[in-house]
Amino acid sequence: MALADDAGRTSAAQAALAAVTSLPDLDERTLVVQAQGGNRAAFEELVRRFDRDVLRLALNLMKRPEDARDVYQEAFLKVYRNLHRFRFECSFYTWLYRIVTNVCLDHLRRRQARPEDQAPDLGAAHREDGARDFFEHQKEHRPALDPERRYIGKEIQARIALAMERLSPRERIVFEMKHYQGLKLRAIGDALGTTEETVKNSLFRATRKLRNELGGLR
Amino acid sequence: MSSQPGDLRRCADVAPLLIFYSCDEVTVEERRQIEAHLAGCAECRAQLNEEEEFGNALVNVPQAADQLDGSGKLLAQYRSELSEALDDLSAPPVQEHWQPFGGLRRWMALRPAWSAALLLVLGAVLGRQVWQWLPTSGSGSGGTAVNVLAAPKITEDQLSKMSVAGINFSGPSSDPDTATVQVQMQAEQPLVISGNLDDADVRRVLTYVVANGQRFDPSVRLDCLDALKSHTSDADVRRALLAAARKDQNPGVRMKALEALREATSDPSVREVLLEALNHDANPGVRIEAVNLLVHSLEQVSLAGPDADSAGTAADATPQDLRAVIAAGSSTERVIHALEELRRHDPNPYVRLRSAAALRQIGPQDLQ
Repeated sequence: MALADDAGRTSAAQAALAAVTSLPDLDERTLVVQAQGGNRAAFEELVRRFDRDVLRLALNLMKRPEDARDVYQEAFLKVYRNLHRFRFECSFYTWLYRIVTNVCLDHLRRRQARPEDQAPDLGAAHREDGARDFFEHQKEHRPALDPERRYIGKEIQARIALAMERLSPRERIVFEMKHYQGLKLRAIGDALGTTEETVKNSLFRATRKLRNELGGLR
Repeated sequence: MSSQPGDLRRCADVAPLLIFYSCDEVTVEERRQIEAHLAGCAECRAQLNEEEEFGNALVNVPQAADQLDGSGKLLAQYRSELSEALDDLSAPPVQEHWQPFGGLRRWMALRPAWSAALLLVLGAVLGRQVWQWLPTSGSGSGGTAVNVLAAPKITEDQLSKMSVAGINFSGPSSDPDTATVQVQMQAEQPLVISGNLDDADVRRVLTYVVANGQRFDPSVRLDCLDALKSHTSDADVRRALLAAARKDQNPGVRMKALEALREATSDPSVREVLLEALNHDANPGVRIEAVNLLVHSLEQVSLAGPDADSAGTAADATPQDLRAVIAAGSSTERVIHALEELRRHDPNPYVRLRSAAALRQIGPQDLQ
């Protein structure tokens, strides 16, 4: 009972704080409490804080904007509907990523069940784009934007994308979250609802498969 | 890949951990042991180098997210769409207080094929059940149907202006006695009357058609006679049938009208009409039908006679019974007389033959 009273006082204090502070200045916990209380603006502020990473993960995994949109919307609507169940037993970020990764896994598994629905070859798409080819072949003084290096980069990207398609949905998510989102294995385990050891195994298998597929890629 | 400090001296133990070493996912103790091993093992150093180069190659390639949404337009678009979806979610539910069969409706929405099959089965079962309650199914196992007689709804004015497009009999049996009669009328506005002969409106329309034969098609008149023949006890119906037998221009209709009166031949007025047909109808078929019916009526009298005798004496009979017996007796004489005339003088040989046969048939009656 005492704990409940404490929680009630904390929520009331956070609500009062929110009333006098602009939403972007509020901490994550206060925003979540506000959103749980039905404050739509607080929820949208939470979305704005995290949705860039969520969309990045979805685009990298799904490779198609329309699929990424489905993941983005489905994930945040699930968060909105289930926010009242969030009990601060982990960070909101971890809880959000648990939902996002589950949605991604569902979409990847569905896609895997339909071989005709594989991700597009992004490198090939760019090679067919004549206008881009013209500009890409102009001299570029910045090394990172050198057309030749970019071309090689796209070739490698296409090969990596193909190799990634051969990984299991879970291996792809783990690899993506580790190498492109920069998350620690423990955080990935939390997001996927599994142990760090299991995530390690997934990452090891994924790396080995990619090494075999990509051979002498340097 | 479990970390077991102290085990990392052999290449076979270190090699699997190099992937995690290169991405900083080993414990402090593992790191110390791996580095100690690498310091003295050129082969593992080379493998680590490969792992790092491979990792760098993977990380440095352009990513799908950069290509697909480098400008952030998609993010803005998806935020806007999410906001709209949240608006829909936040909107107050429409009439969710009472949702009958809500679970069933959700189940059906998710399984269209099963739902269609379920609805078909339900329809078939309901159809069977409802059919038993329809008035036309009175001849079925459900017993005699009871009809509530409604007050006539068709006005005289409507009757005088109507024409009849068709008459249909429908129902489990084709017997007009029990079938539903559907009369398609064309009055000021097209009208369909449906019901069996117990329905006053139906009976009234059919009777009107028979009694005013000149206004309607002969086939319609024949259908009406067919329907009405089981209701000759109704005074209006009987009057209409007598009028049709006497005056209808179509011999087929006159013959049918006589046939419809078959069960009413004990009525003196019916016998009068039969005798009239016998003597005056221009059509031999009608005259033969009249002969047949008169013979039938005399047979009915002869069958009823002994019963009447055995039932009691003249003292027990009512004045109406006595009048009927006397009338029947006088009528019999007239019938025999008329048949004699036909046998001798009818221009049609078939009528003469049938009359002779009839006289032979009722001869004993004559002796009575």
